[in-house]
Amino acid sequence: MRAIELIRRSGVAVAPDRTMRDAAEIMERSGVGALAVLDGDHLVGIVTDRDLVRRGLARGLDPDVRVDALMSSPVVTIDAAADVHSAFAIFRTNAVRRLVVTERGRFAGVLAIDDLLINLSADLADLVRPVTAETIIGHRDTPVPATT
Amino acid sequence: MQASKGDRIIIRGHRVGEHDRDCEVLDVQGKDGGPPYVVRWGDSGHETLFFPGSDAIVQHFEHTGDRS
Repeated sequence: MRAIELIRRSGVAVAPDRTMRDAAEIMERSGVGALAVLDGDHLVGIVTDRDLVRRGLARGLDPDVRVDALMSSPVVTIDAAADVHSAFAIFRTNAVRRLVVTERGRFAGVLAIDDLLINLSADLADLVRPVTAETIIGHRDTPVPATT
Repeated sequence: MQASKGDRIIIRGHRVGEHDRDCEVLDVQGKDGGPPYVVRWGDSGHETLFFPGSDAIVQHFEHTGDRS
């Protein structure tokens, strides 16, 4: 499965000169917890709800401070065509909870650890179901073929 | 996904009890109606670039021009 197919939420992007107040309102309106920061087509950073709290509110910054003063940059990215194992490998070696997915070098969405966990838990459930059934219902005895 | 100016995009709630959200398509930047879209979020007036995921559907409106 490709990285872009694992994304469960739409992506939202803002310009670097948008304010912290704007970012918070956009997160609330759109229901996302992270905004890509694009300067034209160029991905320059990512700002999360956690950034707004820790880098903004906790430091007493003015709500009209630009988001590029709060964002994380450079951004950890994954190509849209990369497979799920590549995503696991990137999460294993980077202390991030979200990967920015790019397609032909342009922002295409945000892949969160939650997306991988949901996908993984669905796969695990598929595997556990027959084992559980066998444990509860018992083994199915197949008749031994008659031999002469 | 394909959309046109004036269409509305509905984003389904992600958790039980979470309400749907919506935005209006102001401009289509992709080819043949594809994403990304410049959208406006409700009455907040905020405009952003939007890259639809599997949680988004387009509500098309008929574009018939001015009424006579």
